[in-house]
Amino acid sequence: MTAFIARRLFFIVLVLVAVSMLVFGITALLPANVAYLILGPFAPPDQVRALEIKLGLTDPIWQQYLRWASSFLTGNLGESTLMNRPIGPMLTEAVGRSLMLTGASFVLIAVIGVGLGIVAALRHGKPLDHGVSIGTYLGIAVPEFFWAIIVILVFAAWLGWLPASGYEAPSEGLWIWLKHLIAPTITLVFGHLAHVSRLTRSSMIEVLQSPYVTAARAKGLPEHVVVLRHALRNALLPTITALALDFGRLMGGIVVVETIFAYPGLGRLIVFSIQNRDLPTLQAAILVVAAIYAAANLVADLLYARFNPKIRYGRNVS
Amino acid sequence: MLDIFDLTVRYRTSGGELEALSSISISAKKGTTLALVGESGSGKSTVALAAMGLLPQEAQIIGGTVRFDGHDLGAMSVEERRRLRGSRLGLVFQDPFSVLNPSLTIGSQVGESLIHHRGYTPREAFERAIGLLDEVGILNPKAVANAYPHELSGGMRQRAIIAGALAPEPDLLILDEPTTALDVTIEAQIIELLEQLRARRGLTMLFISHNLGVVRRVADEVAVLYAGQIIEHGATEDVLHRPMHPYAKGLLAAIPRIGSKQLRLASIPGRLPDLRKPPSGCRFAERCPFASESSTQPQTMRMVGGRGVRCANAELVESTPWPTPEATATQAPPRSEQSPVVSVRALDKTFRIGGGVTLEGWRLRRNETLLKPVDDITLDIRRGEVLGLVGESGSGKTTLGRTILRLIDPDSGEIRIGDELVSGKPQRELERMRRTAQIVFQNPDSSLNPRKTVGELLARPIRRFGLATTERMPTRVRELLDMVRLPSHYANRYPHQMSGGEKQRVGIARALATEPRFIVCDEPVSALDVSVQAAIVNLLADLRDQLGVAYLFISHDIGVVAHLSDRIAVMQHGKLVEIGDADAILNHPRHPYTIKLLSAVPRVDARSTSAGSGPPPLQ
Repeated sequence: MTAFIARRLFFIVLVLVAVSMLVFGITALLPANVAYLILGPFAPPDQVRALEIKLGLTDPIWQQYLRWASSFLTGNLGESTLMNRPIGPMLTEAVGRSLMLTGASFVLIAVIGVGLGIVAALRHGKPLDHGVSIGTYLGIAVPEFFWAIIVILVFAAWLGWLPASGYEAPSEGLWIWLKHLIAPTITLVFGHLAHVSRLTRSSMIEVLQSPYVTAARAKGLPEHVVVLRHALRNALLPTITALALDFGRLMGGIVVVETIFAYPGLGRLIVFSIQNRDLPTLQAAILVVAAIYAAANLVADLLYARFNPKIRYGRNVS
Repeated sequence: MLDIFDLTVRYRTSGGELEALSSISISAKKGTTLALVGESGSGKSTVALAAMGLLPQEAQIIGGTVRFDGHDLGAMSVEERRRLRGSRLGLVFQDPFSVLNPSLTIGSQVGESLIHHRGYTPREAFERAIGLLDEVGILNPKAVANAYPHELSGGMRQRAIIAGALAPEPDLLILDEPTTALDVTIEAQIIELLEQLRARRGLTMLFISHNLGVVRRVADEVAVLYAGQIIEHGATEDVLHRPMHPYAKGLLAAIPRIGSKQLRLASIPGRLPDLRKPPSGCRFAERCPFASESSTQPQTMRMVGGRGVRCANAELVESTPWPTPEATATQAPPRSEQSPVVSVRALDKTFRIGGGVTLEGWRLRRNETLLKPVDDITLDIRRGEVLGLVGESGSGKTTLGRTILRLIDPDSGEIRIGDELVSGKPQRELERMRRTAQIVFQNPDSSLNPRKTVGELLARPIRRFGLATTERMPTRVRELLDMVRLPSHYANRYPHQMSGGEKQRVGIARALATEPRFIVCDEPVSALDVSVQAAIVNLLADLRDQLGVAYLFISHDIGVVAHLSDRIAVMQHGKLVEIGDADAILNHPRHPYTIKLLSAVPRVDARSTSAGSGPPPLQ
């Protein structure tokens, strides 16, 4: 098991190195460099030239990359060119807020999605099954910004229960914090339910027809034991992998949702830094997204192994 | 204990209603074993499911009652039936490979019903499971209880399943083909175990099987099912040794016997009637050599000398032997002393099974298991000779067959087919060998392309080797179909429009299309019912005589091998442990493994050791 984790961690490092090269490479191809951005569009060319030399922008690209990467490794993420603030604390704050949002959404997607999948599988071919299918498909078929607007209209404008946008820290009061979280969460959850519920449904239907489920029934076990202990355990395996991918898709989803709800998280930071050509911030933010994505996949693989004894690594049985 | 009366079950299918069981009446007395015998489609598994109350949704009970220990199961609530299942009724399924939940430990599955029926805590149930595993003869029950299903062999799993069914001390055990997926030596062990358990616990058993040899060993009474009807039932000795219904008689005649080599196997022509619209008269009439005018009338069950028979001509049938097809085959090997058609010398094949990597200090090490399914094999097959290859699953039979044909590349050794040295040549130079050597696979469902007609399937190899012009193609296809005794209009059929036996005939025709001199037959009849199997075996024998083609005939069924083979090779753990003339191997086996294998085969003609006293068996 440790060998397995070690190997996976090694691959994650490789992936991150590759992503960092890509990110750095692409930003280096942009016509405007950091010196130009710092000094603004009206700076005289010789000043720009001087700053370029000072910042090392005239060095070969691989030297620039190594310098950037090594300072990254020592924890120095550089400074935002736009806000003249260190990127580190800014990014930590944004990531923390985004993780609150994606974490809550993810838990709800997993619980509701799997639940709907089970219910649909048990009522396979009946009206409830069709209802679940139509509802979740609707969620995935229409883009997130549409649902975001509907949610704002219904809960903020019409019912007036929730604020339309913004963020408040938990220290301002738990309820206020939660109120700002609910609307974007609903939007994210609705857009991602179909994937999990459809997959759970189809593997559940398959597993319910398997001989070992009939065998469990033949043992006279109560139906909830048959469904939850015998069927679900096996039906969840493909869902776990899908959930990890969904976590990655959520990281993409927050870009849209945070922008609409003016939620100051990682997604909004990315959009903001793109709009304002804040290259150091953008590079750091994208690396963080890649790292979260890789970590989610590692967790999925570990959970998969936990639930599937056939790949319990390095186990010896007589 | 179990009393099924006048039970009729229908399935709703896309093609209309199908009557799976028509007025079935059987009963098993306390402490006895009743065997339910029939071929695929006879409805025997439906009986098991109906008795357990586990019929699928599309099934409907039209009439009749199932009584267990005096209680009418049909009158019970769902909850009451559930409480009965598992606590007083146990069920053991056919396939030990898919019946255990892959993600739960053996111990928790074995003890599970104790938690729900007997109020054990999970801890106590697990402890009891260890005791039960011990009782069913598992050597280190503690380790096995903590293991997962994929870590156990088939025999071990079936023992664990039986332990699980026995856990709450049921009164009745229903066993649906409990040994069909197992090797003969394991099968013998499981049967022995069941006999011990029955004696020790006073179990009543409903034993469902197609294997008459197994039934002969375990059952007190036998009921034979055909097309949803019981056609004969009575004491095991009576039914198996003096069958009165034509179908029972045909079934018994079709079994190849070890030690009594016949020229031809008797077979039952035709196939099951369509149960969506069953014939109004006798359901077997179409295939019955004894059919008479009375066969057009519905047959009723009548008692003849202590047993029930659903045939008006039963008395006549009992005294007349089942007709054996004319012996066109000489079944005598052309013992030419010329050079062999296949010659294998010191053949080796090793598989590496990767098991991931482990860290040893700082060094990564690959976990590998070496498996040697072909280990120093040397054999010859002469022209027109049938070499039977027997051994248990995992012994390397299939790998050997495929390695000879270079479908798997050997590690070392020499293969000659005809006068051609086949080993060591790159695949693209094997053109000529691919023509002279062919293969017939076990499962025609997966070896025939479902999207091609039979005509296209047969034309493909002919065109590939340029053996017929486009104009001559239909004639050649017709010839091939004729060779395997299929009517020529079958050229337009798709695989799903044919029965299992017919599909296997197409598989054989496809192998014959290149006019080969040698065919590897890899379990060609294992997926077929006994009555169909006999016809295919006869066909293979005929083709050998007509065409002089040699076979490597791979099978786990020693009866079939004994019937067809001139010589027999016995394989164990990748090695040939014994090879020689069929008679010598069967009558005077030398190697302990051959002796063990032969003694484990359940024989239908042997005298039963259990209850019943009938007249001496036939022959």
